[in-house]
This record gives sequence, C-alpha cells and structure tokens, in this order.
Amino acid sequence: MRFEENKVGDVLVAKVLDGRIAADVAPRFKAHLAEYVRQGNLAIVLDLGAVTFIDSSGLGALVSSLKSMGKEGDLAIAGAQGGVASMFKLTRMDKVFRMYPTINEAVSALSVTAVP
Amino acid sequence: MKAMILAAGKGTRVRPITNVVPKPMIPLLGKPVMESILEHLHDAGFDQIVVNTSHLAPVIQDYFRDGTHFGVQIAYSFEGLLDRGQLQGEALGSAGGMKRIQDFSGFFDDTFAVLCGDALVDVDFQKAVSFHRERGAVATIILRDVPREEVFRYGVVATDPTGRITQFQEKPKVEQAVSTQINTGIYIFEPSVFDHIPSGRSFDIGSELFPALVKCGAPMYGVELPFQWVDIGSVPDYWEASRLALRGGIRGFRIPGREVMPGVHIGINVGWNPNRCTVRGPVLIGGSTFIGDGAAIEGPAVIGAGCVIEPGAVVKECILADYTRVSSVARLDRLVIFGNQCIQPNGEHFGIEETGVSWVIDDARAKQEFAPVQQELLQLAREIAD
Repeated sequence: MRFEENKVGDVLVAKVLDGRIAADVAPRFKAHLAEYVRQGNLAIVLDLGAVTFIDSSGLGALVSSLKSMGKEGDLAIAGAQGGVASMFKLTRMDKVFRMYPTINEAVSALSVTAVP
Repeated sequence: MKAMILAAGKGTRVRPITNVVPKPMIPLLGKPVMESILEHLHDAGFDQIVVNTSHLAPVIQDYFRDGTHFGVQIAYSFEGLLDRGQLQGEALGSAGGMKRIQDFSGFFDDTFAVLCGDALVDVDFQKAVSFHRERGAVATIILRDVPREEVFRYGVVATDPTGRITQFQEKPKVEQAVSTQINTGIYIFEPSVFDHIPSGRSFDIGSELFPALVKCGAPMYGVELPFQWVDIGSVPDYWEASRLALRGGIRGFRIPGREVMPGVHIGINVGWNPNRCTVRGPVLIGGSTFIGDGAAIEGPAVIGAGCVIEPGAVVKECILADYTRVSSVARLDRLVIFGNQCIQPNGEHFGIEETGVSWVIDDARAKQEFAPVQQELLQLAREIAD
C-alpha cells in the first residue's frame, strides 16, 4: 500500500495512493495505520480521494484501526467519493467515522478536538 | 400492418443493468419496456411483429414467445450462433437486421414501421403512415425537436419546408449541428428501401442507410409529431423514467398494484403492517414482499416483488430488483439494486459480491453466511442503528 503523509499542525494527513482497499491489502493497510499510532499520531485524517473501490475487509481494517486508537486518538475520513462514499453510507459506517468532504474540513475538525 | 422492433443492441450505456437483461427487457415499475411498446403497436393496428435479437436473446424470446399473450403475432430473427452450448451474439446493425428478415422470407410486403425496443413512445402511427404515403416516401423518420445543447447525443436531421430530408449528421458537435430536429429511432418504410441495403453484412440505419438514401435522391421525409418519448438509453435515463412513471407522468402507463394510501401502490400478498412502518409515496411495492416494523421507505421508490426489507432498514429513493434483501442496518439512499450491483443514478456502480456487502444487501433467497469481518461490521452497525 502506498501512502503520502503530510503533517498539518498536530494532525497527520495520510493520502491513500492506491485505488483499491480490498481483502488482499487490508492487513497491510491496518499495520500501516497502527504504525502511525505507534509513532504518536493521535489525530489522523485519512484522505480517500484517490480510492475508487473499498470492500468489507477494507471497512473492517478501518474500523479496527479506529478501535486501536482508543479514546485518546481520533481518525477522520476525507474526500470519499462515488461508490466509496456510497459504501460508507449504505453500511452506516458514515456514522462510525467522522467523514468530511475535504481535507481542510477534516483537519479543522480534528485540530479543535486534538489532544494537546 | 407489419412492424419490426430493434432489440439486438448490447446496451453498453445501460450497464451493468444490461449485463443481466437486454435493453428492451429493462423493467419500468416491473414491466419490460418492450411490453409497453408492443401494447402501443397493438393499439395502433400492428399485428405482425418481427423482433431481431442477439445479446441475451433468450430473455426476450422466453418472455414474449409468439406474442399470443400480447394480442399480436411475434417472430424473432436471431443474429448470432450457438457455439459450444453458448449463444454468441453477432448483431448485424439495424438496417442489416431488417435486410436479414427480408432476405429470409420477403416478410415486408407493404408499408411497415421499425422502432427501437428501448424507448416508450405513444406516437400516432396512423398520422405518420398517412404523412409517409401522401408524400410517396420510401422512408419517413419521426422527428422531435430538442434543446440545442442535447443534439450531440442524437442523429440530427435537416428538412426542407415540405419535410423532405436534405441532410444528416450523426451525433454532431453542438456548434456544428444543422438543426435541432433529431431522429427518434421510429421509422416508416416502403419495401423498396431494401434496394439500398446490402445483404449479409452489418449496416446501420442512421449512419449508413439514410446518408445513402439522401445521396441517391430517394424520397425521404421527416415528420415532427407531438408524442411522449421516454428513452431508456442510459442509467440516468432509466432513473428518471422510473421516477416519472411512479409519479404517473407517462401517458398510458398504469402503475401496477392497488393504491392503498396516496401514492402507495402495492401488489398482493405483501407482508407488512402499515401502522408500524413509514412509507411515503410515490412508492410501488411488489407482491410477496415483506416490510418489517420500523422500516422506512421514502419515495419515489420501487420495491420489487419478493423483497425483504428488514425491520429498521431505511430505503430512500431507490429502485430495488425483485428478491432484494435489505438488512435492518442498511441505509439505502438513491441507489438502483439490480443484477447483484449497487448502481448510482449516474451509472457508477459496485458489485455486492465483489465488495462483500451481502451482510447489508443481498438476494432475499440467499443463505445468510457471514465472514468474521462481516459479522464484526454488522454488530457495529447494529449498535449504531440502535
């Protein structure tokens, strides 16, 4: 899995560069997010703008990453479009994650709530 | 009178719906588009109809059979071959398909009509045929005027004051279009038109036959008649047509079922308690469908036959194929569920199996077996729904 990281204040913005988050990459995806948390990133914006396909395993990887962050961490999703946005809505995962149309909106939302 | 319905297209612009059914069989409120066309042809006095088929031909032929149930006589001209037990379509194009029928039996022996199997029309054929005969035309096209910005989607036609066609353009750029009159795919022909169609090869009416007729100076006319034309040429077209039909906006198109409350039509044997779920019309609910307590259906929506809408599910402005199961945790918003696909009104889609969302949406008859990750998501979604 390829990511592009960018730090905005305390918030880590991680853009997923691959088009698919499916069963085959879900474990690596999860490990990658766990590594962000281990490095001390407690506010993460996951930019899904370039993702065109996500399956249940992909959603599962996101959910377990969110859970592993515990109460002190925060994970928001930005830029989900088309079928990907539809998947989140259909499965009600849009209520599990904080979802924002743009990175800026996600960053501002997390900046307000970020742990100092 | 005799007619031909063009039904051999692959329907690439209506994928993924046309991966499962050919365009003429796309159900509008549960009824194949071609069935409405046949009804109109029957009412207009057409009694012998040949349908050329190719892509998914058996779906058409098994439904309409010899036409007896529809009050007409139907025969098929299959374009393709059976190869190792599999039917392979080899469509000949619209004019090529006509020629194949004529070469086979000389079926067309008088003025006849040809129309596409994928658009609902209530055109006055008597008027069209009178216009055609009065002018001694070999071909007459039913035209319609469209806003200039839409001409790029169609074949554009220029006519002189008598209606004689002087020029053709196939899908021109907006700035280059010679008129805003477009070809609706409804034609009246004389058998002499076959002199201009080659045998045994693919030939198209719009892009090959008509330019050839114009070139040789054959009497070809266009007539603009007021009629309703509901094209199902793309997924957005299908989306709009279904909503229009639900609102009663298609002339002569009857919403099936019984209206049990304003705008809510239901089939027979529906398992529901109207006082315990929310249904806001216009909605059509097919027969033998179950709607659980606490479910919410917001129109315009079509719920097919044999569906299961589990308690608490939310279905907002959707078109669900027969036998769709919507899980109690699901929230369906502006989707077409057809052929195991979730299709958005713009045509974007993803596979239910491919994405592993069968824990949310599935075939109502399928055995429910979920992988650990699906169970985990289901549990989480249930907690949220509660």
